[in-house]
Amino acid sequence: MIKRTLIAAAFTLAGVTAASAEPLIWGVDVEKFEYRLGEQNGNAYAWDFDALVGTDEMKFVWRSEAEYATDERSFEVLDNQARVQIPVSTFFDGVVGVLASTPKGPDRFYGVLGLHGLAKQWFEVDMDLYVSNKPFARAEIDYEGLITNRVTLTPSWEVTLPLKDDPVIGLGAGGIKSEIGLRLSYDLVDRLLSPYVGVHYESTYGDTARYRSEDGKSRDATYLVTGLKMLF
Amino acid sequence: MKTAFSRIASASILVSAVSFATSSAIAAGGHSGMMGEVGQPGDPSKVTRTIQIEMFDNYYEPENVSIKEGETVKFVIKNSGEFVHEFNIGTAAMHADHQSEMMMMMEHGVLLSDRIDWDAAKAMQQSMGHGMHDDANSALLEPGQEAEIVWQFPEHAELEFACNVPGHYDSGMMGQIKLSH
Amino acid sequence: MKLTRLVPVIVIGIGLLPPMTAVQAETYNLTVDQVTIDTGDFTRTGIGYNGTSPGPVLRFKEGEDVTINVTNNLSSSTSIHWHGLILPFEQDGVPGISYTGIEPGETFTYRFPIVQSGTYWFHSHSGFQEPDGAYGAIVIEPKGREPFRFDREYVVQLTDAHPHSGSRVMRNLKMMPDYYNRQQRTFMDFLSDVDSKGLEPTLSDRADWGDMRMMPTDIEDLQGVTPLINGMGPTANWTGLFEPGERIRLRFINSSAMTYFDIRIPGLQMTIVQSDGNNVQPVKVDEFRIAVAETYDVIVQPKEAKAFTLFAESMSRSAFARGTLAPAEGMTAEVPMLREPPLLTMADMGMAHEGMDHGAMAMDNGAMNHGTMGQSGMPMGEHVMQDGKMMSGMDHNSMGQGMSSTNAHVMPDGSSMEGMDHSAHGGMAVDTADPFYAPGSGLTPTAYNDGKFLSYADLKAQKPLYPDREATREIELRLTGNMERYIWSINGVKYADADPIVLQYGERVRFKFVNETMMAHPMHLHGMWSILDNGNGKFDPVKHVISVAPGTTVYTETEVDAPGQWAFHCHLSYHADSGMFRKVVVEGGPNQQAAASGNDILAGGVQ
Repeated sequence: MIKRTLIAAAFTLAGVTAASAEPLIWGVDVEKFEYRLGEQNGNAYAWDFDALVGTDEMKFVWRSEAEYATDERSFEVLDNQARVQIPVSTFFDGVVGVLASTPKGPDRFYGVLGLHGLAKQWFEVDMDLYVSNKPFARAEIDYEGLITNRVTLTPSWEVTLPLKDDPVIGLGAGGIKSEIGLRLSYDLVDRLLSPYVGVHYESTYGDTARYRSEDGKSRDATYLVTGLKMLF
Repeated sequence: MKTAFSRIASASILVSAVSFATSSAIAAGGHSGMMGEVGQPGDPSKVTRTIQIEMFDNYYEPENVSIKEGETVKFVIKNSGEFVHEFNIGTAAMHADHQSEMMMMMEHGVLLSDRIDWDAAKAMQQSMGHGMHDDANSALLEPGQEAEIVWQFPEHAELEFACNVPGHYDSGMMGQIKLSH
Repeated sequence: MKLTRLVPVIVIGIGLLPPMTAVQAETYNLTVDQVTIDTGDFTRTGIGYNGTSPGPVLRFKEGEDVTINVTNNLSSSTSIHWHGLILPFEQDGVPGISYTGIEPGETFTYRFPIVQSGTYWFHSHSGFQEPDGAYGAIVIEPKGREPFRFDREYVVQLTDAHPHSGSRVMRNLKMMPDYYNRQQRTFMDFLSDVDSKGLEPTLSDRADWGDMRMMPTDIEDLQGVTPLINGMGPTANWTGLFEPGERIRLRFINSSAMTYFDIRIPGLQMTIVQSDGNNVQPVKVDEFRIAVAETYDVIVQPKEAKAFTLFAESMSRSAFARGTLAPAEGMTAEVPMLREPPLLTMADMGMAHEGMDHGAMAMDNGAMNHGTMGQSGMPMGEHVMQDGKMMSGMDHNSMGQGMSSTNAHVMPDGSSMEGMDHSAHGGMAVDTADPFYAPGSGLTPTAYNDGKFLSYADLKAQKPLYPDREATREIELRLTGNMERYIWSINGVKYADADPIVLQYGERVRFKFVNETMMAHPMHLHGMWSILDNGNGKFDPVKHVISVAPGTTVYTETEVDAPGQWAFHCHLSYHADSGMFRKVVVEGGPNQQAAASGNDILAGGVQ
C-alpha cells in the first residue's frame, strides 16, 4: 500500500496522466489564522493548519499550531507535527507521527498515536496520545453549524491532559488545559477564503493552572478573535 | 392469409361496446359525434377508385392522398410492419381525442406493441364498460393483417389519415387527405 | 429533410443479390486545442476540438468506413473515445485499455466502419479533459429511412461548465466532499422544519441523517456550474429556428461531467423517438430526465409562430440550461424559475431494498404477458366496420356536441366519470410510480405541468438489435462508495485495486446493478450494448448508458459480441476517476489475437 502510494505520487509529480491513474490528493486546510484580542494575557496571533499530500490509502500531513504573543514577541505555542494518516474505518484514519514543540523555553519532542475522523452527528474529531517520558493526551472536537449555506458557526473544544508533570513547560499531571472557541465565518470565495469573528476561551486546571499563576499569568483568558479560514 | 373480412365476425364478439357506444360521446373510435363532417361509410357499388395504403413502422406509403370532393373510395390497407397500426380518417381534433383513448388501451395492456390482447380488452370492457369496438372510419391492424374501408368523402373538410397508436401520430405516422374538385 | 422511401426489395435468390457498391470512405481531421470557454458567467481556458468547445458535429453515414486524424496540440497526452459506437477495441480511445493515448504533437489515425446510425458523441478519456470541454457530437445518418418524420433537426448538446479545472474539482472533492454543495440543510431549514413538522420529528430526522453521516441534499457533487447548450450559456440563449407546423428533431446529448438534467419545452409535448442512438417506440412526454452521457432524440411540432423556451434544470435545481425554439432569431419566451430542490429520503439510502427488484418485476410482467397470450384460435379481430356493422359510428351523430369532450368516460348507465382514476379499477390498476426509483425516493421526477414524465419503463426498442434469449450467467455489480473520503467503487473495490471483469465471447451476460450509494450512477459499458431489462421482453431498449437510481437494483443484459478489452464505468467524471471503473476483458471470438496483444498494452500501465 505504501509502495503504491509512493509510485502514484511519483507518477503524478512526473505529470503522468493515464485515464485510470488516480490523481494525487493534496491541499492545505487552514482552520485558524487569526488575531486574538485578550484582556488578561495580552494579544496574540494564532494559526492551526493541516497541509496534506497523499492518496486514499495514505496521507502525509504537516500539522502546525502556533500562538504568538505580541507583547512578549515570542511563541507561547509552536507545535509542528509530521503525521501519517491511514484509514482504519469508514470514517476514521489512524495517525502515527512526531511532534516538535518549540515555543520559547525548552523544546520538547513526542511520538504521536491518534485517530482522526468524522464521528456521528458530524463531529470532527482528533484524539491523539503524545508519547515521551512526559506524555500528554489531547482531544479536539469541531462542529460546523450551517446558519446558511455560506455563514457557518463553528464551536470547537480542545482539551489537553498532561499525564506526567513537566513543570518547565507549565504542565502538571492531570491539570487540564481547555480551549473553547466559537467562530462565525462567511465563505467569501468558494471555500477558499472565509473570514470570521469569534471568541476563544482558554482555561487551565490543577497543577497546570498553578504553574501558570506562578508565571504571573491568569488561569484563564478570553479573547475576541478575527481571522481567516482557508482551504485550497 | 386470412383476410380482414373473414375475421370480422369473430372480431365483433369483442365489439360488445356497440350497444353502449351508441350512448357514448366518445368510445374508442374518436368520431366524437362529428361523422358527418368527415364523410360517411360508402356504398361499395359507388366506389370510383381503390387506394392501396401500406403501413410500415411507423409510417404510411403513400404519405398523403388526394381525393375528389364527395368521392367514394375503397382503401385497401395492409400492415406490413411489425407493430400494430391504425388507419383512421378524421380531423386533427378527432385524432387527438382518439389518441387519449388509445393511450388508455395501452395502459390497460390491451394495445401492445405488436398485437392486441383481446383478453385484456374484455377485462377492460367489463371493468370499465369501455372497450374495443369498430368504427367505419378506421382499421386497427395487427402485423400482417389487411382490411378494406369504403368511405364517401364530404365536399369540404380538413382531413387526415392517421395512426393513433400512442406516439405514432406525433412521430409522423399521419398523412394529409387533399380534397379537390 | 427529404427522406428516402424504403423500397421493399424481394430477394428471389442469393444469386440475384445486387453487387456490393464500393464502401464510402471519408476522412475527418480533428485537432485537440486549448480554447477559451465563455459561459456568460465566467471565462476560462479549456480544451476543445478544431479550436472550439464543443467540437464540430461529426456527420457519418451508416455503412461508411471512416478515417479520423486526431492531432494533439496540447502539452499533455490526450485521447478520443467515440461514445456509443460499436467498433474494434483498439479504436475505442481509452488510454491504458484500448491504446496508450495520443502524445503531444502526435497525430493518431482512427479507422473504423460505421455499423449503426443515430445520435452519439465523442470526448477525451484522458484525465479531466472532458469536464474541461473536450467533447463533441456525432450524428450518423441511417442507410434506410427513419421510422419517424422530421423537417429539420438540431443537436442540443448539454454540458456543465465549471470555473474550476477538472483536476482542481477532483482535488477539492477529495479534500472536502461537500465542497461544492451549497444546498445543504441549515439552521434556517431546521427552524422552518420545526415550525412545520414540530420539534421532535425534526430533531429525530436530523439525528437519523447525522447518525449515518449522510446528507439528504447530497444529489449533486458539483454545483456552481453554468449549464451550456451547444457551448452557449443561458444568456447567450442558443436558438433553433423553425417554421410553424414543422416537425423538429432535437438530438439531446448530455455531455456533462456530473449533471443530470430534467428537460422540458413549456407549451410543447415531446415525442421521444430514440435513446442512446437506438430508435425507441415513440413516447409522448411533457418532460424527461437525461442522465450524464445519455442521448435522447425527440420530435416536437410547434404549430404557432411564437418562441418556446427549452429549459433543462439540473436534477438538484442548482442551475439550468436555457435555449429557445423560435420562428426568428431574437425571439424569446418566458424562462421558468428553478423548482424547489429535492431531498433524498431513507428510501434512497437503500432502506427498502427488497421491494424494488426490477428483475423480479420484469419477470412477473413476462409471465403475465405469456399467460394472456391465448390460444392460436383466439379471435384476432379487426377494427374494421363492414356495411351493416358500422351503424354505431353513425349513431354517434345523434349525440350532442356537448358530450364530445375528451376524457369523460361515459358508463353504460349514462353517468359520466370525469377525470376518473384508472387505478381505482381493481385488477386493471395502472401503477404510475416510476419503478426505476426506490419507492418513496426523493428523486422520483414529476412533470412541471403534472403531465407525463418519461420513465425508463416507457422505453421500448423500435427494432430490437438482438433476439431475446436467456442470459447465460449473471454478474452482480454493487455500486459502492465512501462519500466522506470521496472514493467510489464497485463491489467495494476501486479500480486501482480491482481485477478485470472477464467475459466470454458469445455469451449473454446479465448484469445486476445494486446501488448501495445515495447517488444515481450512469453506468457505461464500452464496445457492447446494454439491454435494459425494463419488463418489455423482446422490446427491452438497447442503450449504452444505464442510470441506476439510489436504493434500486437494475438489470441489464449484454450480448458479448466484441472481442478485446473495454472500459466499464460510472460516467460521472469524478466518480469514474475516483474508482467506479472496471476493465472488461472479452476472451475468445474471431479477434482473439488482437485481444491478446491488447493485454500487453496494459502490462506497461500504471499499477
